[in-house]
Amino acid sequence: MAAGFALAGFVVILVPAIAVQSGVFNAGVGSMDTDVLAASAAAGAVHVVLAWRRLLDEERIATRRLHVWIAALNALVVLALSASVLLLLVLFWFPDEHASLANRGFPVFLLWAGVQGVAVLLAEATARFFFWWLEPHRPPTLGPGPP
Amino acid sequence: MNRREFLAAGVGLVGATATAGTLAGAVWPLLSREDLVPGQAPDVQLTPNAWPTADDRLSFVALGDNGSGGRQALAVAERMAITYRTAPYGLVALLGDICYYGNFRRRFDTVFRRPLGPLIDAGVGFELAIGNHDNALHFSDQGLSAIEAELELLGTPGRYYTTSQGPVDFFFLDSSIPGLYGPQASEQLDWLDDALASSANQWKVVALHHPPFSSGHHGSTPGAQERLVPLLSRHHVDLVLSGHDHDYERVEPQHGVTYVVSGGGCKTTRVGRSAFTAVSERTLQFLHVEVVDDLLTATCVRVDGSVADRFMLRAREGN
Repeated sequence: MAAGFALAGFVVILVPAIAVQSGVFNAGVGSMDTDVLAASAAAGAVHVVLAWRRLLDEERIATRRLHVWIAALNALVVLALSASVLLLLVLFWFPDEHASLANRGFPVFLLWAGVQGVAVLLAEATARFFFWWLEPHRPPTLGPGPP
Repeated sequence: MNRREFLAAGVGLVGATATAGTLAGAVWPLLSREDLVPGQAPDVQLTPNAWPTADDRLSFVALGDNGSGGRQALAVAERMAITYRTAPYGLVALLGDICYYGNFRRRFDTVFRRPLGPLIDAGVGFELAIGNHDNALHFSDQGLSAIEAELELLGTPGRYYTTSQGPVDFFFLDSSIPGLYGPQASEQLDWLDDALASSANQWKVVALHHPPFSSGHHGSTPGAQERLVPLLSRHHVDLVLSGHDHDYERVEPQHGVTYVVSGGGCKTTRVGRSAFTAVSERTLQFLHVEVVDDLLTATCVRVDGSVADRFMLRAREGN
């Protein structure tokens, strides 16, 4: 189950790059730059490691396993949405800034991986929030007090 | 299942359904269709003014819908520069939609100066058929402001105008609605009628954004075949160049007039075939045209340098 969620996350991170590459392929461009695919794969690999470790930890400490999977589902939704929509918005709203950066040698790989890295962090935060929210919150117990 | 679990699971399931629909239906197709990824500007050194300048010769390129400034637009521009090396040309006929994703004044460097820099530096001239102000935008403040910016920055004399280059008379039209086909179109059509009638050059080439004949995503422009095509046929126009659909299509001559869609300047959409289609292809491309006396040879060049189509025309007689 943990592996399934981690891999599903990898796939939704990879899809925007595949969409761009399919556009390039349909346009008949002879040689295709694969930097966006590589950037997505890198962000996806980071996600797999983080999600895998988190899910194993949560499974170990959860009062109900259901909490782990509900939190994971919500994280996957946030990941899918932000990995594509954030990218689209950043590319669409700041095309001239990106063109200027590219002109100065700033690699598209970093731009793409950076935006998708933010999506991975948002998904991690979402998972941790939902897990924390679903788990029972025990009132703090009073210690024996100062000697 | 307690209240929190029910709520969180519900949010997750509804979110998953909505997200799947949004991504598959809108976001991913948009990423595939648009040219949003930045790229490197072409680094090609060209010999200035290398094109033939005899009175009976002209070489030019027709480029449509190139206004993204993205990686694909840069690839097409680079191929144009490479083509200039072997088959130099002194003019680029821009077929509209020269600026996507923002105002042309703000994006001038990104969509024009940067991709076409090698050609600009080589002294190549640019003419423009207005295109990126479709439908009601034409008469909005935003639309007029963008049109003014384009005309000013490219040094274009007006929304529609004629220019002579060697043996060719060009007629650049504003085909935005209601510019050419709407209720107030008579002014431009009357002007075109007079300009074609008084054209004394060997070749008559009309350039406009919206194609009278197309099997592409937008299809043939409504009203064009009723209002514009008869006028073009009557005046023995040789070639009509257009964009709008992001593909290449050559139409079988209609009453002697050859129509070409050359709209693959930076992105592509599907194109089919119609009864009038001679050649159609979804590809990034531009059209290289060489006129020598009464022979015109046009080559559709793909972004990888291969040839998608080549055709020849003989100049038609009469005005």
